[in-house]
Amino acid sequence: MDELELLKKHWKKQDTEYPQVSANDIYKMILKRSSSIVKWIFIISILEFALWTFLSFFLKDHKDAQHFDKFDSDFLLIPLTVLGYIILIYFFYLFYRNFKRISVTDSAKVLMENILKTRRTVKNYVFFNLAFMAITFVAVLYIEFDQDKAFISKAQTAAANGEVFMFYAKTILIVAGVLAVFGAVLLFFYWLIYGLLLRKLNRNYKELKKLEM
Amino acid sequence: MDKELEHNFVALLEEHQNIVHKVCRLYTNHREAHNDLFQEITIQLWKAYPKFRGDAKFSTWMYRVGLNTAITLYRKSKRTINTYELDIYQFKIKAEDYDDTEEQQLKLLYSAVHQLNDIEKALVLLYLEDKDYKEISETLGISEVNARVKMNRIKNKLRTILNP
Repeated sequence: MDELELLKKHWKKQDTEYPQVSANDIYKMILKRSSSIVKWIFIISILEFALWTFLSFFLKDHKDAQHFDKFDSDFLLIPLTVLGYIILIYFFYLFYRNFKRISVTDSAKVLMENILKTRRTVKNYVFFNLAFMAITFVAVLYIEFDQDKAFISKAQTAAANGEVFMFYAKTILIVAGVLAVFGAVLLFFYWLIYGLLLRKLNRNYKELKKLEM
Repeated sequence: MDKELEHNFVALLEEHQNIVHKVCRLYTNHREAHNDLFQEITIQLWKAYPKFRGDAKFSTWMYRVGLNTAITLYRKSKRTINTYELDIYQFKIKAEDYDDTEEQQLKLLYSAVHQLNDIEKALVLLYLEDKDYKEISETLGISEVNARVKMNRIKNKLRTILNP
């Protein structure tokens, strides 16, 4: 006999053996909170949007940023800020739309794809922010090089000593180094949080994809 | 209206609860985890219920939500299988129904099924429940041909485990 047929025979006999849950217990259960990964993804994503928005406000009001106000920088920073907000709204809209599409009554594959898509939106937003930050840094450096008197005089001293290349190289390397460390820490957290949260989903999604080949 | 919805849902779930138990039985390996998954599936069913339309059978709809919860949404990690617990919880096989070899085979079969991955378990569950390949393929989102091929592979896999 086919192995599974034997199993099926027994499987059907088991129906009476399950401990029955009463209607009363079902009422209690539906009042409880879900602990599904979709809920966690939603919470973490909202926190991320909040964090990045907060971060951009915070950086703008920072003392160093105010010192920066003295320079003629509006031509660059205002378009960058406006662009930042437009893109935030765009990403948030995408996130919300994708999140709404997640439905537990879809097929397993579609459900997984929608969850991964929602996740990807937030991930792209964070990558966008990192890129945006790098661009802003470059813009800030450019304005500093161009307009900051203290900086220019330092550069001139360096030039007098014949070290002008070293001076610029050092400044740029330090800024790049700080950005790289910041990015690496962020990526590590990403890998940790989503690695744990989505491990099972990714594994099962791969398995389903494998069947399609 | 909400009360009525709630009442209908609870009555339907109470009647069809064995479907949820079956999903839990395949995807968990001790009673505590079984109850936990049962609860999460119940919550997901309830959240999706307002959109449930009578055009699908309630039981078909339940398999889908139940499996999706077990495969995708449920977050808790699995505990390593404890043979003792498996014996008392999973494989209550009555000796009088089967002869010794069959009983032994059943035990092996259940533990073999537990070693399958999440997707394979879903196929086995739907197969054991006599679902046709059309329903299996729609539930998982794969083609009917692929569902058949995979099912045959699973059968071979189980055969190898039983007859090494």
